[in-house]
Amino acid sequence: MDFPGSLRPTVFMTGPLGLSDVPDMSFMCSWRDALTLPESLPQNSENGVPHVAKGLLWEPETPGPLPLLPPGPDPWHPGLTAQDLLFRGGHPFQKQPRVVLDVTEQLSRFLWDHGDIAFAPLGKLMLENFKLEGARSRSKKKTVVSVKRLLQDLDGHQPWGCPWAYLSYRQRRFSILGGPILGKSVANLLGDLLHEELVTRWEQLLLDDAFTGGALAWVPGKTPRVGQLVYPAGSTLDKLYFQEVSLTPGGNPQVLRDPGHIQLRGPVRQVVTRTVQGESLLAVRSDYHCALWKISRQGRPAPLQVLQVEKGATGISLSPHLPGELAVCSRSGAICLWTPQDGLRRVYKDPDTLVFRDPSPWRWADFTAHPRVLTVGDRTGVKIVDTQVRGGDCHRQSSRTEQRHGVGWGRDLPEGMKSSRSVSPAGGDGAPDLRLGGLTRFLSQGPPGCGLLLFRGGAEASCQKGERVLLTQYLGEGSPESLHSTLHLICTQFSLYLVDERLPLVPMLKWNHGLPSAPLLARLLPPPGPGCPRPLLLGGQDGQLQLLHITGEEASTPRLAGPPQSLPSRNDSLSAFPVLEPKSQWRLQERLKAPTIGLAAAIPPSASTPILSLFQLSAAGDVFHQCLRLQADPGPDSCAPTVSWSPQATACCSQWLKALLEVPPAPPVWAAPTFSHRRLLGCVEQREVEGKVPEGLRAAMAEGRLLQQRDLGSLPTAEPPPAPEPGPDDELSKRLEAAWEGRAAAWWERRQGWSSGPRQQPKRHKRRTQLSSTFSSLSGRLELSDATSPPPSPDPEARPRPPGTPPSQELAQENWARGVPSERQQTLRDYMAKLPLREDPLEDASVPPSQTSSIRATRSRQRTLQDNTAKPPLQMDTPEGVSVPPSQTSSIWATRSRQRTLQDNTAKPPLQRDTPEGASVPLFQTSSIRATRFRQQTLQDNTAKPPLQRDTPEGAFVPSSQTSSIQATPSRQQTPVLSGSQRIRKKPRMGF
Amino acid sequence: MSDFSEELIKSTTEDDQGERCELSGTGMHFPWLQKHIETVATGGKKEKDFAQTTSACLSFIQEALLKHQWQQAAEYMHSYLQVLEDSDSCKRQAAPEIIWKLGSEILYYHPKSNVEAFNTFADRMKNIGVMNYLKISLQHALYLLHHGMLEDANRNLSQAETWRYGEKSSSQEVLINLIQAYKGLLQYYAWSKKKMELSQLDKDDYAYNTASQNMLDHSWKTSVNLGALIQIPGVWDPFVKGYVEMLEFYGDQDGAREVLTNYAYDEKFPSNPNAHIYLYNFLKREKAPREKLISVLKILYQIVPSHKLMLEFHRLLRKSEKEEHHKLGLEVLFGVLDFAGCTKNITAWKYLAKYLRQTLMGSHLAWVQEEWSSRKNWWPGFHFSYFWAKSDWKEDKALACEKALVAGVLSGKGTWLCFLFI
Repeated sequence: MDFPGSLRPTVFMTGPLGLSDVPDMSFMCSWRDALTLPESLPQNSENGVPHVAKGLLWEPETPGPLPLLPPGPDPWHPGLTAQDLLFRGGHPFQKQPRVVLDVTEQLSRFLWDHGDIAFAPLGKLMLENFKLEGARSRSKKKTVVSVKRLLQDLDGHQPWGCPWAYLSYRQRRFSILGGPILGKSVANLLGDLLHEELVTRWEQLLLDDAFTGGALAWVPGKTPRVGQLVYPAGSTLDKLYFQEVSLTPGGNPQVLRDPGHIQLRGPVRQVVTRTVQGESLLAVRSDYHCALWKISRQGRPAPLQVLQVEKGATGISLSPHLPGELAVCSRSGAICLWTPQDGLRRVYKDPDTLVFRDPSPWRWADFTAHPRVLTVGDRTGVKIVDTQVRGGDCHRQSSRTEQRHGVGWGRDLPEGMKSSRSVSPAGGDGAPDLRLGGLTRFLSQGPPGCGLLLFRGGAEASCQKGERVLLTQYLGEGSPESLHSTLHLICTQFSLYLVDERLPLVPMLKWNHGLPSAPLLARLLPPPGPGCPRPLLLGGQDGQLQLLHITGEEASTPRLAGPPQSLPSRNDSLSAFPVLEPKSQWRLQERLKAPTIGLAAAIPPSASTPILSLFQLSAAGDVFHQCLRLQADPGPDSCAPTVSWSPQATACCSQWLKALLEVPPAPPVWAAPTFSHRRLLGCVEQREVEGKVPEGLRAAMAEGRLLQQRDLGSLPTAEPPPAPEPGPDDELSKRLEAAWEGRAAAWWERRQGWSSGPRQQPKRHKRRTQLSSTFSSLSGRLELSDATSPPPSPDPEARPRPPGTPPSQELAQENWARGVPSERQQTLRDYMAKLPLREDPLEDASVPPSQTSSIRATRSRQRTLQDNTAKPPLQMDTPEGVSVPPSQTSSIWATRSRQRTLQDNTAKPPLQRDTPEGASVPLFQTSSIRATRFRQQTLQDNTAKPPLQRDTPEGAFVPSSQTSSIQATPSRQQTPVLSGSQRIRKKPRMGF
Repeated sequence: MSDFSEELIKSTTEDDQGERCELSGTGMHFPWLQKHIETVATGGKKEKDFAQTTSACLSFIQEALLKHQWQQAAEYMHSYLQVLEDSDSCKRQAAPEIIWKLGSEILYYHPKSNVEAFNTFADRMKNIGVMNYLKISLQHALYLLHHGMLEDANRNLSQAETWRYGEKSSSQEVLINLIQAYKGLLQYYAWSKKKMELSQLDKDDYAYNTASQNMLDHSWKTSVNLGALIQIPGVWDPFVKGYVEMLEFYGDQDGAREVLTNYAYDEKFPSNPNAHIYLYNFLKREKAPREKLISVLKILYQIVPSHKLMLEFHRLLRKSEKEEHHKLGLEVLFGVLDFAGCTKNITAWKYLAKYLRQTLMGSHLAWVQEEWSSRKNWWPGFHFSYFWAKSDWKEDKALACEKALVAGVLSGKGTWLCFLFI
């Protein structure tokens, strides 16, 4: 191979990143790269004219890419945003806004949602200082707080962050007094873990390197016009689709038939394809697995092998030289060469980064012009590693052993293997790495025997401070005809470098791409025509695309043949879609803004102007396509004509949009309540009890979306449905009418009269409890019974205490049952519910259903009381059968009469579709913080089924789940509570 | 503040950066961090309207440039110049460099711009602030050089050469050296033009003497100009080439050798294959002994085993008397054919076929075995696969034959037979 006879002059400085005293030789602009030095005078006089194609431009045919395939049937959610993680307050005295992770909000969520864990032990300790009865009997002691009033205030508590939140002075005083004790233990325990988790999330938000390399691949077919797009789709990206596409001469691709797909067991992160010696191979990387397929000539994939990577795979590359050879990198810092025939061979292992210390476990490996030499990259640099097994027989032996052990990824390889690669820097026969390891002086660059650095994050490449390698890619194709068979592309968040492996450390080309997102995708395409520069596509994670024209024959340095250009992103296609109502418009925008996770391009052979077909895959699983036409020399007036949308394009977009809007939107993970829903929903729920409110209305209210006609059902004015009971709409209008006329009180009285009648308890009950779970963030989780029976004393022999249970919980329960005078027990129970001292319903197996049911549903206390009075026989179930005289409980009712109706009307949560298995939950386990909020509801839902308690045998597993939930809080990949609850739900339920 | 300008004034914003990176703990800088913060931050010091408009303008310019809308970019640039009056001193200082970068790019590509416009712009920009004079002068000179205006370029460089501001910082020094070197290069061009004229003149002519006198002058000046730069670590191929040519012309062989040796072997320099190639070519011209040539190429072989000179190296080694050289000769051939870019090099295959036979005849089976042992698990798939056999046979029968011969020798009869008779 020929080497460029004369390289561009460059200063070479060694040193760390951001060395300010080095003249950055790339300070010059893109045109600088186009400059040529006259080699010598005679030549110069001949071709002094710049031979740079000034007007080299790939012109898009449409202003933006168009959807190629209809949207998938699964809803998609964009995931966490900065708003979810960062503190939203202002910093008035700071010059620059700073990043502050909002631990407090997360922690406060936890305290609301898991108050039992947070406060139960302390509550028990503080029990003496609470006066549980109402305000009448005034205590002289200042140290005693009346719980009743406190609870009353809490009943109307408002969520965190609400600017209109009302805080009573009592609550305030209580929180000031109790704050230091109440908050500390939990905060200390959780704070660090939570912060750590948030930092990880935030880093992931800033840079998600899972899709480095891209998950979209173009597999050429039998003819140059036909090929297959291979990409993952589905809400979790675990289905690998094979879509046959034909490229028409006009540039528009045609989808040939329905795509085939393979269901995988993990999300697909990277799809790589190569055609080596006529054999098309497809490699797929998931988080913990890699797989290899062979694509037959008919385009059918045949699986070859699957590999499990215990520590998590970060990159996979297919060899351009040898069919079926792969390089796989793992988070542990190991690089393995993998062939289906010989299995796995670890060729490199270094848990540390190459140049300086960087915590990222991201590693990357690619091939070079030598089939047995790999590049190994991390955030700080890229190294060339010789993987050849050289030397005598003992080494060959060890290599065989290794192949046998190949499957165990994490296993350490035999020692002989290591020694075979270690290098004596002295050289001689035993120094095989010196061949590519270069001169001895470079051996000091890294650990011995590890080759030399190809790229160093440092002054050598005039790197900036904070610059990190995000992508490395070998640009050669392996065929001897390719001109750039020794070039490597290295992308950082600021710049793009082309490095020749024969001249390490000194970039041949540097271009500040200035992309506003991480450039994780790059594709070098073959020249569209003879003598044309090669297009190099660079894709940012947020959808920005740049195209560079790379030229340079074998004997000259690679350079930019013209100014780089930007290509339209999916965002630019928004104008092709019809205008929608705001909600749908927002949804469409969000969908178009989804991160780009795959990039593929093909240049179909065409007679006239070269055409570039560009495909991009978004994280939502959408494949978009754009056609670009090369304008080699548009003449002196190179004013690019503005393209507009063709009718076909807009039609295509509308069709796609229609399909998109038919997809149900992703269920909201969690919505910040802005005001107390409970009070507003009260009257709606009242009638809901009568079973007349359309599901749509409730769903709309719970999701907070726009009310539409279909949610409300038929308009009452148009044709009042002949219903035995008044429909919901006219109820509402009646009330509003009454309110307008100032007769709300009378109406209210009437309402109360209606609602006090006997009702079907189980149905109502269910709804109520489900509603309470919806607003679980608002309400206390557990409620004690207002029933007239005292709580049963715990049955000691029936409950073996699980090892992990904090004793305080049980103690608390027993305490209040024993020492409190009977007339106070009611209030005490209320209090216990508020403070949640205990949560597992399974523990008090002896509590009658009616009683426990009211324990769960705070807001329905009043109603339950009524129920209980209506159904006294229920009390006979209680073991002791002690009934509290009605007179005592009635006093409590009186104090609550204000809230009565409201409480009663806890709406049924539309989110809870009452799926017994909680099927929607595992979906959200993937993102732990989201799951935290969501889980709450399910949990509530479970605990809110009172009769279950009877069926569960001793419930030994629930307390353990409770204790573990505190550990699992920062990262809830597994929520043991869920599994526990599932088990409960499978039991037959009583009372339903 | 936009990302672009941020990156330029990195020295002034270092503290800010550190503050922002602190959270991720990795020290990585994210140009898109600001975007995320802006979605959240409500308070904080608001940017002034002026700053907002200028940064918006800057992004418009960048966008227009990436869309090749030069006309539009020029219009925006017109408005962007107001940034020079920014009250924020740090921005005001960074502005000239940004303006130069973008403005020169617009003028370079704008269909209606010409050299005069570029000159005017460059001359103005040089004198806004003091930090950019050298950089802009150098780029301006390169622009002129590229457009074949050597005299203008030379004048520019001469002006820049004498420019001083404050204490000479190391980056300034490097820049001045670069400027001098480019000046030297220009002088070399002039010299080589004269040399050509001289070769056409009669030696007895009077003009000859003056011309040669001129050349001597040039040589002296050039050596001063070029000599300083090539002491600094870097890639200085065109300078070294010219310098050596001049030294050689005036018979300063030792000086030339020293320059080249230093360029090739100084540890502070990057391992530039060209340095070794220049040295080898020089030694070849000098008719240096074979041993010497081999030792130079041996190092080149370690850096670039795929270089085309390796075949020459092999020939040298083959001719050598030493046994270890013979062994190395085999290694070199194998090394060349390891590379994807050399698989169709028929000369290499021919050499290998011939040399394998020779080696085996010389009963050095061990050498072949040694080379083959590390390759036997991948060369068959890489070189001797059915696919290549077929395509080679179709494209180049001679190559297919040579390969088949080598395959036969190396991998035993089974494989090569099928390879040969496809």
